[in-house]
Amino acid sequence: MEYKIAVGTSEGIQVDLKFGEAAFFQIYLADENGFRLLEKRQIKSSSPDGKTLLSGCDGYSEKEKLFGGSCEGCTGNGHGCGAPGDIADKVNLIGDCRCIVCKKIGFQAVRQLERKAISVFDVDCSVNDALNKITSYYTRIDSGMKN
Amino acid sequence: MAKLLDKQRYKCALGAMQSVQAIQRALPILHSGPGCAQKLCESVGSSGYFSPNIFPCTSVNEKDVVFGGVKKLDSTIENALKVIDADLYVVLTGCIPEIVGDDSEEVVSRFADSRKPVIYAPTAGFKGNNYKGHEQVIDAIVNQYLKKTDKKQKGLVNIWADVPYQDLFWLGNIREIEKLVSELGLIPNTIFGYQRGIGQINKIPEAEFNLLISPWVGVSSMKNMERKLGIPFLHYKTLPIGATETSRFLRTVGEYAGVDKEITEEVIRKKEDYYYYLIERYADIFLENRVINKQFTVVSDAQYVLGITKFLVNDLGLIPAKQFVVDDTPNKYREEIKEEFKNLNYGIKADVSFETDGYKIHEEIKNHDYHGYPLVLGGYYEKEVTEKLKGNFLNISYPVQDKVVLDNFYAGYAGGIRLIEDIYTVAVSRFN
Repeated sequence: MEYKIAVGTSEGIQVDLKFGEAAFFQIYLADENGFRLLEKRQIKSSSPDGKTLLSGCDGYSEKEKLFGGSCEGCTGNGHGCGAPGDIADKVNLIGDCRCIVCKKIGFQAVRQLERKAISVFDVDCSVNDALNKITSYYTRIDSGMKN
Repeated sequence: MAKLLDKQRYKCALGAMQSVQAIQRALPILHSGPGCAQKLCESVGSSGYFSPNIFPCTSVNEKDVVFGGVKKLDSTIENALKVIDADLYVVLTGCIPEIVGDDSEEVVSRFADSRKPVIYAPTAGFKGNNYKGHEQVIDAIVNQYLKKTDKKQKGLVNIWADVPYQDLFWLGNIREIEKLVSELGLIPNTIFGYQRGIGQINKIPEAEFNLLISPWVGVSSMKNMERKLGIPFLHYKTLPIGATETSRFLRTVGEYAGVDKEITEEVIRKKEDYYYYLIERYADIFLENRVINKQFTVVSDAQYVLGITKFLVNDLGLIPAKQFVVDDTPNKYREEIKEEFKNLNYGIKADVSFETDGYKIHEEIKNHDYHGYPLVLGGYYEKEVTEKLKGNFLNISYPVQDKVVLDNFYAGYAGGIRLIEDIYTVAVSRFN
């Protein structure tokens, strides 16, 4: 079974980008035989002035400036309760992936990803290492399901 | 082939966190998935200074399955040591880290130099039930914390009985056995319950011998202690309930410990006098054969099935129907335990079955001819089937739903009286 993995990496060697600060994700295509780089997905900004927002808690102060203060509860941004727009955009961007690998990720984003059944791996290691472990894990799970 | 277990009566080995909790100021640190402690704890006397809701837990998730959870374990132990004031930290591992292959032992060994002792017990669910987990905890204390010593305290005896919390009467029972043993002039040492903690654990190696009162739980730990600490052990299989068995128990312990026979007999005489004084006063109720049922069945773990069967036959003269041991006794102990059931007074033998499937047990109870209403002592699961048969039911073991036990007990002479009270309270209420 083929599936996609989103990775937060700047040069494709180390998992070195935090979910919030990543301006793009590398998308890998994987199956039981291995994985390969498929594409690079750039994050499109959704803020009014075209500026890319910082996500999660870090982004709150800036967001408050942009949206006039309130960022609690339903802000009417069209992305559901409590989900800052930039997080929702990023989650949508990698919505077709089975999991996301990045250096760090905020609680808010994890919740959003979990709702779409996207697994989160926040690890500090090389891309190869991470993908080897994850693909062998998925291969085992999938072969177990078939039996 | 995998099969479903109908009406389970024990938990997974991680349930040993309750054995740790029974040691005062000892804290379990769980290396397990989130929710394990919540599922394993029951609100039966488990709140207090530490309760299962605050046990530090690594809450391993998918990421830890893929990348290993040792880092998380390391930080959890480190922070537990900083934040929670305990005397002994016991790291218990659940199924997930053991399957994934986390080297928890290595992580725990990093804390060998910490101010407070940190030890590790592998208690993955697939290794067995909480009876086995209990043994693992004792083994961990012996192997990783205690040191062999030549210093021996005269008359000091470590007493081990069945599993705390799993056994409803664990606290009362062990206190009562302590009292009995101390009346022989010996000094009892136990590690579970009120005011029993690290101080008592430290005294374990100084004991002259270990006294184990359990059909099988703890036998391997006693053998381990014999090897590691050089402490011999006396294995008394039957939980002494009532005069016959308790007197036999005191004679056995007295003889083993080299207590003067006259002292032992004097203790027994005094205790039996009062015991039979009570029995005599209520002789009419015991001799009135319409009050109590003709045959009885016990459905419980090995210690209560054996203890209560002996008590009801030897002391009350009831006839045993089939007895059911539901604690998944390991095969190697089964024959020995079966032999004990052939060893009843008046040449009576009891048929015993080692069965964990509640459905089969209930079918057998339904199909047996009790020559009248049955008397069933067991877990709450047996209540319904007994009611259908219009029998008398007493909830004496896990699971317990219709009883609150703080420090009541069934062990010893006084415990026998308590059990008689409970059984006859159920029996006479039928006539009201």
